[in-house]
Amino acid sequence: MPPSEGPPSEGPPSEGPPSEGLLSDDEHWVLSYYRTSEINGSLFFGRLARTLKPSPIQHDLTKHFADEAQHAWYWTDCLERLGTRPIKLSDAYQDQYLEAAGLPANLMEIMAITLVFERRVINQYAKHLAVPDLRVEVKKTIERIMRDERWHVQWVRDALAGMGDKYGKDNIAATLRRFKEADREVYAQTLAEHEARLGFLLDSRPNPQED
Amino acid sequence: MPAPTVEEIFARIAGVLGVPESKVGPDVALSDLVMDSYRLVEMAIDLQDDYDVIFSQADLASVTTVGDLADLVRSRA
Repeated sequence: MPPSEGPPSEGPPSEGPPSEGLLSDDEHWVLSYYRTSEINGSLFFGRLARTLKPSPIQHDLTKHFADEAQHAWYWTDCLERLGTRPIKLSDAYQDQYLEAAGLPANLMEIMAITLVFERRVINQYAKHLAVPDLRVEVKKTIERIMRDERWHVQWVRDALAGMGDKYGKDNIAATLRRFKEADREVYAQTLAEHEARLGFLLDSRPNPQED
Repeated sequence: MPAPTVEEIFARIAGVLGVPESKVGPDVALSDLVMDSYRLVEMAIDLQDDYDVIFSQADLASVTTVGDLADLVRSRA
């Protein structure tokens, strides 16, 4: 059954003529993987936003949840503009964090793992932007998402800074170190598992924002 | 604020997980109620936010049943 016409797309506008040629299988998989990760992030933040009492964190987490959902739509729309559909994937990048670092036990730990994850996302999208001859649809989608991601890093960093009295500054610093270590481990595993698919990204210039 | 009763905590857990209160008892394993890790995190955050307590990873590692979790909340509240 074809998708409904639906409302007009609110995705990032394409500038200039659309790209020509089919996506490679690797690009198709990577963009679908981004979409799945955005969906999983959205579902997680949505559940958390529902559990919290009224507070600035409840406010910002709800916006964060909505942004992630919107990003999933941007990728869906981007793939359709490129003449294809998202691949159905079940696992997302952040799922592997829990195995590597253990479950975040409290709100501070969730903020810490989110900060580490959001920095990784920005780093990854920056690497993708550096791919030569990047399709205009992909470039516009990443640039649009990156604007939100920078705000995500800012609000989570501010929230963590405000948790020092309750959770202890040393404890927060130690938690961030633990999750950064887990992130490095998970990223290395992901590259190893999907080396062939991610090859076109690995060949792009190194990003100094690794940590 | 007085510590919540075990019954109040059980009701809260049932509400967050969307299961009948009759299925939530002290000896019920959390793994039988919570099918994925994200729901466990959601439940832990809900309880901490509601009762103004803090859990650590070590705390949660020692919790296996709903009764354990209720005891943990009451010991911190």
